[in-house]
Amino acid sequence: MLEDQSNVKAWFYLLPALILLGIFIFYPIVNAVFLVFVDNYNYQTGTYDGFTLLDNFRYVLSDNNFRMAMLNTMLITFVSVPLSVIIALLISVWLNAIKRMQGFFQTVFFLPYVTNAIAIGMAFAFMFNRRYGLINWFIGLFGIEPVNWVGMGASWGNAMIALIIYITWLTLAFKILVFLSGLQGIDKQYYEAARVDSASKSRVFLKITVPLLSPMIMYITVTSFIGAFKTYTEVIGMFGERLGPPGNDRAMITVVALVYRALDRSGVPGALSEAAAASLILFAITLVFTFINMQVSKKRVHY
Amino acid sequence: MEITLENLTKVFQSKKEEETVAVDNLDITIPSGKLFGLLGPSGCGKSTTLYMISGLLRPTTGKIWFGNEDVTPVPPEERGIGLVFQNYALYPHMTVRQNIMFPLENVKMDKQEGLEKAQEIADLVGIGHLMNRKPKQLSGGQQQRVAIARALVKSPRVLLLDEPLSNLDARLRLQTREEIKRIQRETGITTIFVTHDQEEAMSISDEIVVLREGVTQQVGVPQKVYDNPNNLFVAKFLGTPPINVFDGRVENGKLYIGDADIANYDAPDQEVTIGIRPEGFKIVERSSFKVDVDLVETIGRDTTLIIPHPNDETQSFRAIVDSEYGVQPGDKLKFNVKPSKIHVFNKETGELV
Amino acid sequence: MEEALYASEKQVKRRQRIRLASVYALIILFAIFIIIPFYWMVITAFKTMPQVETAPPILWLNPADWQWINFSLALEQAPFLRYTLNTVVVAVIATTGTVITTILTAFAFARLNFKGRDALFMVFIATMMIPGEIFVITNYITVSRFGWVTLDQTYFDAVLAMTMPFMTSIFFIFFLRQAFKTIPDELYYAAKVDGKTDWQYLWQIMVPVAIPTITTITILNAMNTWNAYIWPRLVSMDEEFQLVSNGLRDAFDDQAGRIMYNEQMAAAIIVTVPLIIAFLLLKKYIMRGVSRSGIKG
Repeated sequence: MLEDQSNVKAWFYLLPALILLGIFIFYPIVNAVFLVFVDNYNYQTGTYDGFTLLDNFRYVLSDNNFRMAMLNTMLITFVSVPLSVIIALLISVWLNAIKRMQGFFQTVFFLPYVTNAIAIGMAFAFMFNRRYGLINWFIGLFGIEPVNWVGMGASWGNAMIALIIYITWLTLAFKILVFLSGLQGIDKQYYEAARVDSASKSRVFLKITVPLLSPMIMYITVTSFIGAFKTYTEVIGMFGERLGPPGNDRAMITVVALVYRALDRSGVPGALSEAAAASLILFAITLVFTFINMQVSKKRVHY
Repeated sequence: MEITLENLTKVFQSKKEEETVAVDNLDITIPSGKLFGLLGPSGCGKSTTLYMISGLLRPTTGKIWFGNEDVTPVPPEERGIGLVFQNYALYPHMTVRQNIMFPLENVKMDKQEGLEKAQEIADLVGIGHLMNRKPKQLSGGQQQRVAIARALVKSPRVLLLDEPLSNLDARLRLQTREEIKRIQRETGITTIFVTHDQEEAMSISDEIVVLREGVTQQVGVPQKVYDNPNNLFVAKFLGTPPINVFDGRVENGKLYIGDADIANYDAPDQEVTIGIRPEGFKIVERSSFKVDVDLVETIGRDTTLIIPHPNDETQSFRAIVDSEYGVQPGDKLKFNVKPSKIHVFNKETGELV
Repeated sequence: MEEALYASEKQVKRRQRIRLASVYALIILFAIFIIIPFYWMVITAFKTMPQVETAPPILWLNPADWQWINFSLALEQAPFLRYTLNTVVVAVIATTGTVITTILTAFAFARLNFKGRDALFMVFIATMMIPGEIFVITNYITVSRFGWVTLDQTYFDAVLAMTMPFMTSIFFIFFLRQAFKTIPDELYYAAKVDGKTDWQYLWQIMVPVAIPTITTITILNAMNTWNAYIWPRLVSMDEEFQLVSNGLRDAFDDQAGRIMYNEQMAAAIIVTVPLIIAFLLLKKYIMRGVSRSGIKG
């Protein structure tokens, strides 16, 4: 760094981003905190009926939709994240073990990353179609009766299974790519040393590959948790704005969906405060889990 | 365990079907219980040879014998070898103890027995007090010893070391090479190590082989190889400062560099390449070998004289003489050459005449 | 040890071959799992409605029987060309803005020395932790206050509402700063000695050197816009102003009763194909960028 640089010049470079971030990121964070503590806020006039400490939170928490959304979000997170991390880990280890066609398969496995979640969600929904879908035909080969996954009156459980399969499919790509680049960064000599020391394949995987990859596994797990807590577009892709199978509306509602539902009613006084409360609860959950993850990683992750 | 390499050849095939012969028809017997050095410049096939002995690479043709047993088809994990990698390949997430225990756990040794064994080996290599550290918390020399301990702990038939000293600084290198020698003596295990550093190889090996482009140049006790190089390559590769090389000729049983008569030499008249070790020059009163001293470097007892090369004025050669002579730059001197320090090679083939 | 204990060379090779074959088998199995939804989308898009509604499903169609008409029918369901145009306009503006602000800010953080730099950078990093939903609420109010989201919204208003909040990205600033940081200081000193200003140094040296990273940022940002669904739906008051994802979802919601799955899938292909093409052409930048930065989709 040169010594004589003036502060003024630096701020000139920063100004465009700072103005935009100020308006669209920093101010909204402050304002969200404001919104959550006022009653009957009307965004068109900017008026409100005094302050409240917990009313908005209480309102959100007592909403049946919120409990459903919380349950769904947690279920999606705690099933799809471990599932996709493990599958991605296995696939990337296999990919790393081959030479021929590695690039081709890498491209194939990356495809879901570059698709439109709405478009492919609709394809998934039709795959799970009760009468004409691929899934029921396939399980039929094993003598299983057709299941009503996403059709009229489909049960919450069936719809959830279909949704989780879709989300797992969608989120594998990113993880495989990151794991594979991590694996390729591991010094081959560790494996040669283990080989000379007569380590079995499974021991090499558990005692060497996983620990050496643990910072990456940790990173992926944290970001995947945060991502899964925000599930919403995937639900729209598969079920549309109804957020559930026909006749079972909102069965797949998530916490983020609640935020947007409140925004849809933005004209109603207080609606935006509910949205703020829901989003802050989401933020709090994210923080707690990130914190837990960090604590675990301190003990388990080898840097 | 005596190790025999029989017609060992390794050909690497690149993607474009181009073939590179890394090791060419190697025939070496490595005596049991000795420290044996594979020496050569980079790309000479010494590491490839080591990896073939370990089993990590398979020879294209040829055989490897451990004693009377042909181990060529045996995979590395069943060969009973200990291998120390150039960068040690210590598992960074494991403690020293866990690193040393790892090979024992693989063969499902009893835990208590394993712990005792690990401690015993760690004590032998002098890291017994560092068992709970992680590799990152150790110095380069200590890491090296952990790697050796890990290789030794399962009582291998052969210990293989790939460039064991190349990652250490100069001071540690001296210390560690004594250490390797001591450990090898105490365990009596047949040890093969690879190095490109001739000084390192000369100082600790019981025997060395010099390789060049996959082909054996010479095998033997280091000092003997140094004193009696088979060819110009070996002569040039061993010794610091390196041997001085002159164009010369044999005429009427005498050896000439230019007009200077160096020594008597019994060979047919021919053009030759003459190698003279820097320590082979003696300052004398009368000689036809006259030189002008260009530069003088005095380090302790020895003085190195840098002298314009008789074949090419822009080049120079080095002579090491006793500092008591008090030679100054610009002095005109006359040299005799010790016959034992002269090596005469065929001009075309580089082979000894 | 006994010689008989050792596997012969043939056995070793056979074992290796079997192991490799099973690895390939597993990879292919999962690759099929990944490919099937795409295949299902394509094959459905080319079927007639009676073929769509056949059980067991038809898994292979003779190319001669492909119903290309489904694509034109899909385009009639909604003004997809219009949506595509909207999306391109929004993507170009938002991406240009993002790239420019990102370059300037990343340069300031990577190269310039100013008071409070580290503190400001910490604030930026901390903000990355906060879920975007928190911003959306207030941003909705803000764009309304700016008069961009009103009942008599013009196209210009809609574009402003859709682009302005996305003209910069803290994540990309962070990403590009890392790339800038790898450029050796000596280049900067050399440029200073040659009398170059910071501004010249940025555009003549740093930006060209960091072009791979900037390309990655450009592509990923454009792809994000292409896939944007929630915000455009929220701030576009006229259906005409929506982006492709919105059009896709709305045109084929089954409120109306029977869904024309073949046309729905044809529309999905229309939206997906540009992405796949862009990906295959720019694979290098996308995959390298994503793996290096860990950008979450």
